[in-house]
Amino acid sequence: MMKRGFLTLGLGLMTSALVGLAHAIEEGDPAPDFSLPSIYADQPAIALADMPGKTVYVDFWASWCAPCLTSLPLYNDLYNKYRDRGLEVVAINVDNPIEDGLDFLLDTPLDFLIPSDPEGDMATQFAVIGMPSSYLIGPDGEVKLVHMGFRPTDMEMIEAAIVANLRD
Amino acid sequence: MPAKMRLILSSITLALLAACSQVQPWERGYLAKQEMAWDSDPLERALNDHIFFSKEASSGGNTAAGGGCGCN
Repeated sequence: MMKRGFLTLGLGLMTSALVGLAHAIEEGDPAPDFSLPSIYADQPAIALADMPGKTVYVDFWASWCAPCLTSLPLYNDLYNKYRDRGLEVVAINVDNPIEDGLDFLLDTPLDFLIPSDPEGDMATQFAVIGMPSSYLIGPDGEVKLVHMGFRPTDMEMIEAAIVANLRD
Repeated sequence: MPAKMRLILSSITLALLAACSQVQPWERGYLAKQEMAWDSDPLERALNDHIFFSKEASSGGNTAAGGGCGCN
């Protein structure tokens, strides 16, 4: 009887540990469809469904994450270099309150789309395991590259992956 | 302890565990603040780390890397 009690307890513990463990998005997976409001109140909502046939680079960032702040101006250069060839950069801000993110953007204007996800709904759906995390989505809607963390030297590899997945 | 008692005790323990939840990587804004660091003086921390790593012949694992953002 005692044994069964422990078994129940053990199973219960395992279940509690597993609850909330979502499947992290990997290369080759279909990209989760997202639709989020823009961080700027006067701009329309941003949805993956509105970017058919485009190569989309999704990046999760926050103003308190130092490597994220290093990466954003570099992504801006990349965006301006390849936007004419069908690249969209979507940098999802997870700051809560969103004013923290807006403060950073005041000093660092960025040209690409910046949705706001203060409750982390999309971060949960992508099962982000570290900040920053980015996902390259091909024109076919498949995740081509998952990248976690950021060092400026990573740009070479990221650019190569983007170029390899541009429509033309 | 009677079986029923054990069952009740286990259930209560499990119910309490529901309050334990992992802080997700995107929720670490507060942890990344300067005042949340174990040591408030970065220079002193760097020195202590250096001494510790030299003694232990190992490095890393002492803080949440990158200010608690879970990167690296």
